[in-house]
Amino acid sequence: MGLEFYEELKALVGQEGSRLVAVDEVCKPMIRHWCEAMQDGNPLYTDEEYARKSKYGSIIAPPTMLLTWTMPPLWPPREQPPHPFEQFLEKLDKAGFYGILITNVAQKYHRPLFPGDHITFTYKVTDVSPEKKTSLGNGHFVTTTFIFTNQKGETVGTQSLTVLKYRIGP
Amino acid sequence: MAWKYLYWEDVEEGQELPTVTMNITCTTVIAGAIASRDFTPVHHDRDFVQKAGLKDILLNNATICGFVGKYLTDWTGPEGELKEISFRISTPCFPGDTMTKTGKVVKKYTGGDQHLVDVEYEFAVPQGRNCGGTGTIALPTRGH
Repeated sequence: MGLEFYEELKALVGQEGSRLVAVDEVCKPMIRHWCEAMQDGNPLYTDEEYARKSKYGSIIAPPTMLLTWTMPPLWPPREQPPHPFEQFLEKLDKAGFYGILITNVAQKYHRPLFPGDHITFTYKVTDVSPEKKTSLGNGHFVTTTFIFTNQKGETVGTQSLTVLKYRIGP
Repeated sequence: MAWKYLYWEDVEEGQELPTVTMNITCTTVIAGAIASRDFTPVHHDRDFVQKAGLKDILLNNATICGFVGKYLTDWTGPEGELKEISFRISTPCFPGDTMTKTGKVVKKYTGGDQHLVDVEYEFAVPQGRNCGGTGTIALPTRGH
């Protein structure tokens, strides 16, 4: 793929889609299910009495759960206008970069999340690399950044995810 | 239950975090995927991944995030406050793997009114490094 293709990709960087609303509000059952799966016994997440006496005054969600609140429902499909990120992936698929693999994850936590909080979020592609040779095949690294906001309009955290979109096979 | 608390004063740069091992099973992988609402077939459908040329289903990125959080606050106790984490995934973690978690303190400092430490960690599986990265945690102080 030539320089022209990379320029086309770069033109899509920074385009933000519409704000999306989390399907579920932050809630104790989903927190407890997470703690079961992660084998995390932190009492701030599941011990009512401990959490009430803590500086938070209440149960909080594990901060690493950030992205979980915003995952799309399995059914029915979320009705939303197409996001620029999807165009990005489509463009790479059409050019033969079908493979996808998450390579980097970064989360920043600005505020604790409490049961009852309702998250909205936006995301956009913030970086794309030129075509690079990797052990899986040639590909582009694409970084997407999410900003999560609570019902008061406060930023609760951010996450960036880098995926490698690569050409499978020789 | 009595909880342990790690105070900022008691941490030194270069100090190692405890080595912790964990056995990863199909149930670990699938429970993590579903608890993080990640229904991508590579995290629960063995037929699907084997057709795609992978050995088995693999741990998803949200579960690695959850394990990083657990590893760090199991070390600090519940008053350790995660500020940020960042890691690179190098090789997949499959059912049957033993995951070995190691880490060390790389920086101890104050920022505003917070008492912070930066740590590095690595989660290894038999085929190599599953993930490695950094984290920043605010710790309580003995005076408070």
